[in-house]
Amino acid sequence: MAKAQRDISVSEFFVKNRHLLGFDNPRKALLTTIKEAVDNSLDACEEAGILPELWVHVEQTAENRFKIGVQDNGPGIVKTQIPNIFGKLLYGSKFHRLRMSRGQQGIGISAAGMYGMLTTGKPTKIVSKTSPRKPAHYYEVQIDTKVNKPHICNGRGEGQDIPSRPEAARSYIEKHGIEWVEAPHGTRVTIELEAKYQRGRGSVDEYLAQTAIANPHVTIHYLDPEGNEHHYLPSTEELPPEPKEIKPHPYGVELGMLVKMLNDAKGITLSQFLRDSFSRVSPGVAKRICQNAKLSTRASTGRISRNEVDALYKAIQQTKISAPATDCISPIGEELLLKGLHEVVPAEFYAAATRPPNVYRGNPFLIEVAIAYGGASTTAQKVTREMLAELLAESDARTLRQFLTMTFNGMGSEGAAKILGEAGFGARVTPGKLKAKQIDTLHHALQNVNIDDGQTMNVYRFANRVPLLFQPGACAITQTVMNTNWKSYGLSQSRGSLPSGPVTLMVHLASVWVPFTSESKEAVASYPEIQKDIRLALQSVGRKLGMYLRRRQKVRQEGERRNVFLRYLGEVADAVHQINETDRDDLYHRLLSVAQVKTAEADTRLDTRGRKIEEEDDDLEADGSVLIVDTHDKAINTNGSASNGAPITEEE
Amino acid sequence: MAKRVKRKRAAAERGNGAVKPSSRDRKTLGDLTGLADRVVTAAQRKRDPHVDIPSRTLSNVSYNRRKRFIEMGSNTNRRQLFNLSQAKAYMQTMLVASGCKRLIDEGKTTSIRGLYYLLKHTIKGTKEETFAEQSECDPIIEDVEVLLNSLREELHLFAQKRGDMVGEITLIDSGDEIDCSRMGSGGYGIPSIVEPEVIQFKKCDAKFILHVEKDTVWQRFNEDKFWRKHHCLLTHGAGQPPRGVRRMLHRLHDELGLPVYCLLDNDPWGYYIYSVIKQGSINLAFESKRMAIPDAKYLGLRSRDFRRCELSDSVKINLNDTDRKRAKQIASYPWFENKQPWQKEIAEMLANGFKLEVESLISKDISYVTEEYVPERLEKQDWLD
Repeated sequence: MAKAQRDISVSEFFVKNRHLLGFDNPRKALLTTIKEAVDNSLDACEEAGILPELWVHVEQTAENRFKIGVQDNGPGIVKTQIPNIFGKLLYGSKFHRLRMSRGQQGIGISAAGMYGMLTTGKPTKIVSKTSPRKPAHYYEVQIDTKVNKPHICNGRGEGQDIPSRPEAARSYIEKHGIEWVEAPHGTRVTIELEAKYQRGRGSVDEYLAQTAIANPHVTIHYLDPEGNEHHYLPSTEELPPEPKEIKPHPYGVELGMLVKMLNDAKGITLSQFLRDSFSRVSPGVAKRICQNAKLSTRASTGRISRNEVDALYKAIQQTKISAPATDCISPIGEELLLKGLHEVVPAEFYAAATRPPNVYRGNPFLIEVAIAYGGASTTAQKVTREMLAELLAESDARTLRQFLTMTFNGMGSEGAAKILGEAGFGARVTPGKLKAKQIDTLHHALQNVNIDDGQTMNVYRFANRVPLLFQPGACAITQTVMNTNWKSYGLSQSRGSLPSGPVTLMVHLASVWVPFTSESKEAVASYPEIQKDIRLALQSVGRKLGMYLRRRQKVRQEGERRNVFLRYLGEVADAVHQINETDRDDLYHRLLSVAQVKTAEADTRLDTRGRKIEEEDDDLEADGSVLIVDTHDKAINTNGSASNGAPITEEE
Repeated sequence: MAKRVKRKRAAAERGNGAVKPSSRDRKTLGDLTGLADRVVTAAQRKRDPHVDIPSRTLSNVSYNRRKRFIEMGSNTNRRQLFNLSQAKAYMQTMLVASGCKRLIDEGKTTSIRGLYYLLKHTIKGTKEETFAEQSECDPIIEDVEVLLNSLREELHLFAQKRGDMVGEITLIDSGDEIDCSRMGSGGYGIPSIVEPEVIQFKKCDAKFILHVEKDTVWQRFNEDKFWRKHHCLLTHGAGQPPRGVRRMLHRLHDELGLPVYCLLDNDPWGYYIYSVIKQGSINLAFESKRMAIPDAKYLGLRSRDFRRCELSDSVKINLNDTDRKRAKQIASYPWFENKQPWQKEIAEMLANGFKLEVESLISKDISYVTEEYVPERLEKQDWLD
């Protein structure tokens, strides 16, 4: 028995538990790999103060086998770090510091490389160029899972320079099955892995589109497996302010951690320890903590007993300490949120809200929310017949209904049921087995059924600017959206579910440490502080949406009113003309102008009836966090003066 | 028949060249033009055009105890063009007015259904009809009547003819002499317009008028030549009597001094017909003066007739909830409220729990109603007032 007991390396653990890292199935593996590479690239560029530009290429090499390449224009990576970064699990710069970044554990990209190696036997290939003057360097990295130790396989563990002469470089690159977009500096990761490419929800395409929403400063060039190029262009040239690194906040420290920190900091006074190790602890605060713990400020950290640590821990919780500095978080900002959302989601009304930073377990965090309403038809209506046939063929959904809800954005089960009803299909049809004629019927139904009503709110979740595509149900964000009452903001909602309507909602959680429910970073854990802030932010955009919907309703009613009058004016003028032979056209125009005045009067009466409405309206107009797109001429106006009902036009 | 007259007159006038309106027509035309002019004035002053229509509701009628009929109050309903719920009605009011103007100009008359077709068209630029149904047009016509304080015939309109008359009277209808005692089995159809210009009474031997509810009962009396035996006039109004019949009864009563006796069903509907003949109707309260006959008597059927005439159980018709509600409503009318016999009568019907039709008397004998029932009531002066 004792013989069988031995160390388990982290790598071995994750080989067996790959689902923890997001490699449960080939489809997800593809996305996770790209996601990790993109996250790392963006972090690297931003840390170096470079406006990120990424090239993403997904290429099919064999059935169920894909090669992905992600290149950035970052600073490049020095040779000594390459094997550790790309080959060793739990290695990284981000774990030990408290600062907002996309990656946090140092698992992602090396796990992806490991997955690639396991499924295809190919090493992770890295091209790194650190300076315009130096040639790009090429490495092949493999990981020894038994000892969690990476090694470079080419160039006797040193890697190789890519020849600088263009022809030689081309043949070298081709020979090694890699690519390189000419750039002064940057890194390109190439991983070949067993995967499956699928469009629709949770796809690479969607991930990149959402990344573009949350990162309006990023340029992404994406070449998909079918050779289509997509370009996401930046809507701002400014890098987000660099988040500062902070020390932990005393409230966030746990007892065991405190013991460890005390042990590490030998030979200094307690007061100094508190001041040095934590943020927001001034000499005064340190003194108060010591008083509460009945310890001397001058006690040596080395000689504090377990009981005293307990007392100290309790004292920290009891002492009033100001909230951590929040410059460690860089929000996207309302303006850029609106721009980003407007770029990707066509709609008629946009609103955004950024909450002031808050703290959970001593970690600062911040919630941002943006909402887009209406206008956009779902992707379902735009799909072509050929596209639909392809989508059906590659879907692994068991039923047609599942296929519809999984493939198309904003398609709720209600909408799917409507479409299936229109097409006359049963609930249990397998998507892959549809005949050509049935596909025609389905396509026709997709085009013709208005699923705006049955449409469910689209929720885009982001954590530190990274889109979260899986496990929406387990996520605190989705749960909070569901538990918010949207009815008062003019949306319909059944209890405990997402509201319906043509709405896209984007929720961004920025924090120095995002509490994910698992290593694969798919869902945010439910901390009450986080949920409360999300709710407040949702309510803030909800109120703006409600105002807009009410005003739209009002404008519509007023337009209808006017139409009713206009309809009858001609008849009245005719009748009066017949009786007393007055000038028919003159009377008509006079009545028309009265109608204009009358309906305008009605406008103002409606507005001023409740003072509240007027105030709200003014808020909405002057608010920079609202964007209203006039659907008639597609002009954007940030002042949000929607047209006031049907314009009065003359007859004929 | 009225139609024929108008046509004749129109033809005569056309013979003279242009259509020459009569003095009464000139007054109506003036009223119509005034209505149209007010629209123009309002439009010029940038005001909201409106008409104030005397309201034809229960709340705007009052029972004049001295005159003993219903009078219209002074309440009006304002109908505005720029009011969402009234815009269409306003437009229709103007249409009806213009239609009447056209009729008067051309010297023609038409039925209210004819006017409906004359004015019905699709509103330009929409799929909406000016009038969807005749039932939409009829109340507007009544509105125009009260609005202009003009009678229907002054607007050159008439309603569908209903109701017949037979008996010992000779009258001149549009120049034709008509002996109502020589009308065969069909009787003389009472026209919609019976104003003195159209109908003049020439000779009358009748002593009273028996008004029955329905054609079927009327046939019974006519066949038995009841009117000859009792020297009376026999009329019916096919249910609720139309204006022509009511106006005719009023004129006969008023000008020839004939008492009016009504033989109606023993149910709330029958009571109400009597109430309308006697006091006038709420809807046409503005015409009560010309139509109500406060001295009309209610001859039968009475609630006690079931027992008195020893009718069989099978002729009973059970009262339903609407009947009960209606009966209570009628009992509370101011003109019935203080009449003990009427309160007793209605209470008795409610206590019976059933209603009786006049035809039920046939179960005794085919001519029971003409040979026994009515003569006996008249003899004993057994009626309700």
